[in-house]
Order: sequence, then C-alpha cells, then structure tokens
Amino acid sequence: MSKYPKLFKYIIVLQQYWQNLFVYRMSFVVWRLRQFLSSFTALSVWSVVFANQKTAFGYAQDEMITYIFLVTVLYNIILSSSLNALSGEIYSGSMSTKLVKPINVFLSLGFQDLAHKILNFGFVILESLILYFIFKPSFIFPNQSYELIFIAWVALAALICFIINLLFGSIGFWSPDSWGPRFLFYIFLDFTAGKLYPLDILPNIIQKIVYLTPFPYMSYVQIQLLLGRLQPNQILPITLTMLAWTVGLILIFKLVWQKGLKNYTAMGQ
Amino acid sequence: MKKIKTYFKVWRLNASNTIQELLVNRATHLLFFMGKMIKLSMSLLFLFLIKEQVAQFANYTTDQVIVFFLTYQFIDVLAQVFFRGVYLFRDRIIRGNFDFMLLRPINPLFQALTDHPDINDTIFLIPTTILSIYIASTLNIHITINSLTLYFLLLINAFLIAAALHILVLVAGILTKDTEGFIWMYRDMIQFARFPVTVYLEPLRSILFFIIPVGMMITIPSEVLLNLKPTYSIGVAFAIGLGSIILSLRLWKWSLKKYSSASS
Repeated sequence: MSKYPKLFKYIIVLQQYWQNLFVYRMSFVVWRLRQFLSSFTALSVWSVVFANQKTAFGYAQDEMITYIFLVTVLYNIILSSSLNALSGEIYSGSMSTKLVKPINVFLSLGFQDLAHKILNFGFVILESLILYFIFKPSFIFPNQSYELIFIAWVALAALICFIINLLFGSIGFWSPDSWGPRFLFYIFLDFTAGKLYPLDILPNIIQKIVYLTPFPYMSYVQIQLLLGRLQPNQILPITLTMLAWTVGLILIFKLVWQKGLKNYTAMGQ
Repeated sequence: MKKIKTYFKVWRLNASNTIQELLVNRATHLLFFMGKMIKLSMSLLFLFLIKEQVAQFANYTTDQVIVFFLTYQFIDVLAQVFFRGVYLFRDRIIRGNFDFMLLRPINPLFQALTDHPDINDTIFLIPTTILSIYIASTLNIHITINSLTLYFLLLINAFLIAAALHILVLVAGILTKDTEGFIWMYRDMIQFARFPVTVYLEPLRSILFFIIPVGMMITIPSEVLLNLKPTYSIGVAFAIGLGSIILSLRLWKWSLKKYSSASS
C-alpha cells in the first residue's frame, strides 16, 4: 500500500500545471489583462447606458452592474479551461504519455482544469477589486437564502463545461482541426451565456432557442438566482435540466472517447 | 512600378496558396465564417436593442453609435485581411522559418505582414460592407459629400495606423519570441472603439487616442462622417497616422539588428 493518499499524485498535477504556466508569465499576464479589459468595456458601456436613465431592459443600474461583476467572476470559474490544447495532444500522439501512466486520465485532466480555475479565480478577485475602485458600484444581492443551490449550480456548470471541452478535445482522434467548432462554440457562448448582457434583454423567440442549449446554465441562471430574479418554482426545473445536460453529455463523451481510443495511433511517439 | 508589380505577384501567389489551404479545410473555414456572421449579427442585435431602450448614449444618438460600430467592423476586418501573417509570426520565429524570409529578395517586413492573406475575412468583408452601407442608409444621420470624402481619407489613415500597430507586434515578436499575446491585446484594444472612445474614463480615453490610437482609427473618422465636431482635429489624426508608421518602420529596422535565429 502506498504511503501517500491516492489523490496526492493529482495534487502534483495541480502544482505542475502552475509551474508550467509561470514559465510563460508574460502570456499569462497578457491573458489576464485581456480579461480585465473585457470587463472594463462592459462596465463602461453599461455605465453610459444608465447615465441618463434609471432603468433599462427591466434592470436598475445597480442590478446591471452587479450582474456584470458576477458574470466576470463566474466566467473565470466556470468557463476558464486548460483543455484547449487537448485535441492537439491527442492528434499528435503526445497523449500517449498520459495514457500509459498509472493515473486516471480524466482525474489528471480534471485537476489540471481545477488548477487553471483556481489561478483565474484568484486573479479575477484582484481585478474585480480594481474595477470596484474605478466604478465604485453599489452591489445588490436581494436573494441570500440560496447560497447552497448557487454553489451546486456553479459546480454543475463547471462540470458541463469540462465535459464539453473534453468532447472538443476528442476531435483530435480524427482531425487536427478542432479550432473551427471551438471558435463557433465560444462565439455562441459569448452571446448566449450572458457574458455581455443578461439574456432576458433578448427577444422572446431567441431566448426560447437559447434555452434549448446548455449555455444559459453556464452563468446566467446562477446570477439570476442571486439577483432574486427567479421564482422559487423555477429552481427545481433548472436543477433537473442541468443534471440532464450533465448526464447526457457524460454518456455522449463516453461513447466518443471509446470510439476515439479505438481509432488512436501515436506514430513516432 | 516594376517593383510594385513583383510585390503584387508575390501577394497574389500567397493568396492563391491560402485559398488552396482553405479549400482543404473547407468545414473548419465554414465554421469560422458562420461564427463571424453570428458575432456580427448578435452585436448588431444588441445595438438595435439598445436603440429601442436608450435615446442618448453619452453625447451621441444611438443611430450615431451604430455608425461607430460599423466603422470598427470594417477597419478590424480589413486589417485582418491584409495582416493575417502577424498571427503566424511567432511560429515562424520559434521554428526558424523567419531566416528564410530574410534570405529572399523580397522585403521581410512585407512577407511577415502579408504572407498569409485571410481569405475567410475577405469573403466576410464583402457582404458585411454591403450590409453596413445598407444599415447606414436606414439610420437617421447627416452625411455630406465633404464628410464622406474626409471619412475615406481618414479610413486610409486608419489602415496606416493598423499597419503600424501590426508592425509593432512583429517587433515585439522578434524581441520576445511571442506575438500571440500582443496581437490579441491589439484586438482587445480595438474593440474599445466599437463605441465612441470618448465615453471611456481618463486616462484610458487618452491612451486610446494617443498610445494605441484606435480612437484616431475609428472614433475620429466616424465623427467626421457624421458631421460632428471631432474630438481631436483631423490634422492630429493624420499626424498620428504618419508618425506611427515612421516610428514602427524604424523600430522594425532596429529590431532586425537584435534578431537571432531561435531554431533551424
């Protein structure tokens, strides 16, 4: 029996990921600066919108600014991912080194993703403080009785995003080009997960279409919960829908991964 | 004249190679094209929604704000059509392929900037420009022949500034072996100009006019087109255009002396 707990080796994966990331410090700094600028633009635009009026699209200024701050934080927890290079790793065959090690590949990728999220979360909190001092907003959180549901929804959304990224990575079993679908996915995500604006400002027909996808569950519904804009009777259906997406995507991923492994070759590795 | 013909021929050859590459990866490029169309449609939808709800956006009407966005869209895509090579420059540096560019009897800067014209964006530019002209024709804005002429001159100036900023990214690539962060930073900065740069707080506003002059590229031409008093005079915009291209070319020459091959 090993003298270290089983999960210890995955903590090493986490540490290694941070060490690798800080080899390319400049890239990371630029990446964070870009995230900061994106939030800064959104806050500036909404501040201008509310300069001459108290409400717009059914949101008061404080609600909208709180929304933008929260979406910035949630994006960094839920949607930041370290798996963008997975498809390339699989296609090039360098995935073999992970497959032959005595570790669970998905736990390893999961911890790698977790390391990425922890780091981004730390930085987004710092950046939010800077944005707070620039814009000096008043936050409102009318609904503070659903923290546990909020945390569960965030965890589920992160899991859904992780599986979707694994699915994109699986494209590498067949093709080197995962950037096309990934690009389309991120474009959809930007406009349908509520990053730039809350989804309920969109026309009804578009909202209905968007709700057929997993995107609104990747930050929009969580914030609506905190802002008290959801009815109590909406909580169970949303939870069940998120669970259904999680289970459905896991099943699809298992199928794709197994098929992919049968197709996998790693010449020259 | 002969030199221009030679360079055009080289560019055409590069474009032809890129088209062949695009045809090999048809599905991927179709997805990219669809993504870009969706992005444009959703951005326009957002602006039209704002138009319904908000009468005044800082000192501009929402119709005027749409013109700023359309100008941003045009300049941003145009720069990508011609300067896509910059996005691949890091790879050329770290693999040592830039050495070959230095050996050829064609200006290495020309090669680095333009050796991979973005055909996808070229295709994208045509319908979006027609759409932009159509949208502009439906807006409640005041345009005259004079303002239109000045607008086109300022767009040429904007293209010069875009070229200068792309050259600076190449300079950063030679010095740091990284271009990706810088080019995406440029793309983020130019996104500020989707809206009039004057709406942002200081010191960001001045940075966007004078340090990374996306305001001179997009805000000033749009203001001129709309017959609004430009935030800075047109002379300042042209001076920055000319100054930035001269400075970037000098820095490029200086950086070439610092270049050492990273690989072979």
